[in-house]
Amino acid sequence: MKYAIILITLFTNPFAATAQDFAKAMATAKSAYSAGKLEDTHFALEQAMQEVDLIIGKEVLKLLPQKMDSLATDAKDDNVSSNIGFVGATIHRSYGKGQRKADISIISNSPLIAMMNSYLNSPLLGGMMNDGKTKKVKVQGYKARLEKQDGSAEGKNNYELQIPLGSALITFKVDDCTDTQILGLAETIPLQQIAKLIQ
Amino acid sequence: MKRFLYILGFAAALTLTNTAYSQGFMKKIKDKVNKTISGEAEKKAGLPADTDNSNSNANGSSNSSGKPTNKGGGGLSNTAPPDVKQQMTEAETEHAAKNYSDARYSLQQALMGVEIQLGRQILKSLPTTIVALPVDTLQDRVMSTQWGWSNLSIQRVYKSGDKQLTTTIGNAGIYSGLAMMYFGNASMMEANGDKQNFKQVKVKGNKAIIQYEDSKGYTLIVSIGQASMIVWECINFANEQEVMSAANSFDIDGIKKMLGEQ
Repeated sequence: MKYAIILITLFTNPFAATAQDFAKAMATAKSAYSAGKLEDTHFALEQAMQEVDLIIGKEVLKLLPQKMDSLATDAKDDNVSSNIGFVGATIHRSYGKGQRKADISIISNSPLIAMMNSYLNSPLLGGMMNDGKTKKVKVQGYKARLEKQDGSAEGKNNYELQIPLGSALITFKVDDCTDTQILGLAETIPLQQIAKLIQ
Repeated sequence: MKRFLYILGFAAALTLTNTAYSQGFMKKIKDKVNKTISGEAEKKAGLPADTDNSNSNANGSSNSSGKPTNKGGGGLSNTAPPDVKQQMTEAETEHAAKNYSDARYSLQQALMGVEIQLGRQILKSLPTTIVALPVDTLQDRVMSTQWGWSNLSIQRVYKSGDKQLTTTIGNAGIYSGLAMMYFGNASMMEANGDKQNFKQVKVKGNKAIIQYEDSKGYTLIVSIGQASMIVWECINFANEQEVMSAANSFDIDGIKKMLGEQ
């Protein structure tokens, strides 16, 4: 009975373990800092930050739409991974199976995103990097870069939309669609709420 | 004669310290001359004098677009490094309140505080004199960005006359990969010419690369642990041996330990 309760708690509350890990990492950081062990404090704080990144990622996944047009979420593909350093966390969700698929990946807290921002905000750089297959668009008021790629068959195209949000980058990819379709689907992503969480 | 020299010295110092003022003064004279010349020319041509132009230029504090020029200010005050204990408590509070973005920010601040303290500890542990060069403490630097570990950089300068040794200790994840490429591939290092300007050496058992350029002097890079490096830039050092003996005066194992490297 006891084991059953533990198992139920673990399955029904996926964040329980993460919250505990955070508390554990913070306790280690505090005791190491009091003992003057700076390197150990640093390591424990990084662990705590990884836990926070994972929680943020899971919260973002909750915000993402369950369906993209007729494409349902492929729950097996939901993924959050945290990397300390130059890339904070990577959040991934895919929609649909088979030939027609859509895919969202969010890289949060990455200073490398500054590069994308300079493309969007500098006409000179934007012009230099433009190969005729990309264009600037606006999604829910946010500047974004839309790129046309070859589709599964002749005459069909895939589109990739990159939306920088501060130090985060949202990449939304839809196979075999038109630019109007991808922009319409992008409108269903709650960008403002995501921005609040990941910035 | 002595008094004359004093007066001359005082006048020279006054001129140097008040360059901004003297520039303004020179500008005023120049404007006055221009005004007089153009006034005379306009009189001869029977045109009215251009009063607007002379007004805007008469004052040295304005430039051609009318925007005032900054003459100085207090600058920015030094902010104390983040209070690690306070930031850790805040991170816990924000985490409990499910404000995860704020919790992350507090953790970043705490990390930055720890890195700065660590950098200062390392600086304290460095020798005060290296090959008869005294430390220039005014150039001691500890830099940390909020991106965790990968951008901690500690700098110390030893200087005497035109001879200088700059030591930079850092954990640069991205750049260390490039250096590792050289350490791992000896064929990339060996020069075919008569004079070798780039080669592999060892400093206290740690792999290192040394480079010489006439314009820069000697640069010695030692890789420590997984991602940290120590760089010595030696200007006006007599030879390679002097650079090596300077590098050998550093407690590399101690630095490694403090950085948590194996």
